[in-house]
Amino acid sequence: MKEFADWLQASSVSVTIQSVKWIIPLLQSIHILMIGIVFVSSLMIALRVLGRMRVDEPFEAVWRRFAPWMWTGLLVMAVTGAILVVGEPIREFTTISFWLKMMLVAIGVTSTALFGRSIRQVAAASPPAAAVPAARVEFSPGAKTGAVVLVVIWLAIIFLGRAIAYDDEVWGKLSHHS
Amino acid sequence: MDLPSIVQSIQASGPAEWMRTSVKAMPIVEAIHVLCAATVFGTILIVDLRLLGFPNTRRSFTRISHEMLRVTWAAFSLAVITGALMFAANAETYYGNTAFRFKMLALLIAGVNMALFQLITYRTVGEWDSGVRTPLAGRVAGAASLTIWVTVICLARWIGFTKGYNFDVPTDVNFSF
Repeated sequence: MKEFADWLQASSVSVTIQSVKWIIPLLQSIHILMIGIVFVSSLMIALRVLGRMRVDEPFEAVWRRFAPWMWTGLLVMAVTGAILVVGEPIREFTTISFWLKMMLVAIGVTSTALFGRSIRQVAAASPPAAAVPAARVEFSPGAKTGAVVLVVIWLAIIFLGRAIAYDDEVWGKLSHHS
Repeated sequence: MDLPSIVQSIQASGPAEWMRTSVKAMPIVEAIHVLCAATVFGTILIVDLRLLGFPNTRRSFTRISHEMLRVTWAAFSLAVITGALMFAANAETYYGNTAFRFKMLALLIAGVNMALFQLITYRTVGEWDSGVRTPLAGRVAGAASLTIWVTVICLARWIGFTKGYNFDVPTDVNFSF
């Protein structure tokens, strides 16, 4: 891994990213703007499951409104994130926070996709009885817990993203730098 | 007391000292700041897009803005507190930093834009709350807000690269995988 990081950091693409001074701040700015889109989109979906937001709309409508923004935002984050890693591979690969974050991103993306699919199935499988409009269907405690867990995963990812710059401070002796 | 000496006393204050000496304060406060800034941007984006008629004007504007703005204000308050702590820790550096000054100016403009919208355009919201196109002044306010908040976040990120901190990667890292 050390050899790979060294090789990548010395590659001409990496050197270009490092030497053009505006590339890294610009990519980080885009990355943060996308955090806003992805986090708020998933928050809206979660709050809808919890019955705290957009309860005038059925879940399907809320999912259709926010899921495309969430997936597109995640794609842009993957691209800007990947370029940042090529630009600063040693800075990223040597931190605990980076690897934990990547693991949680994989878990977060997979579970969001599965969660969205199963909630939509639940929502579709309970056709509104005349007395209960689709928008008023309550979700199960399990679904609500899932929604909260997903938000917590995104929060942890955001925290770890910032923590990459502070590996020693956050992880103390566990950090490779210490 | 003039501004530079106020800045100096902020930097000498207790919370500032705590931010500088506590090992974990800076990363935690910064992470909360990023999270809150992103939340402010994301929720305002929803309101701005609604003003611009995206995805449509079916849902009531007042409903959308009420739903979103409670989240926006909660996140904004927390961003101000964490931002103030970050400022205090290195007040003199921030005070002299151009990107920081422009960011504060952009925040002020965002506030003025919002106040103008609230005091003028919003008074007629009954006429365009749902199903019709937002009046031009409202669409302009939405587009302006969007632009200003993107600018705020970019300027914020630029502060970190211009305030004179050393971001170089340590070359003597000893690590094994």
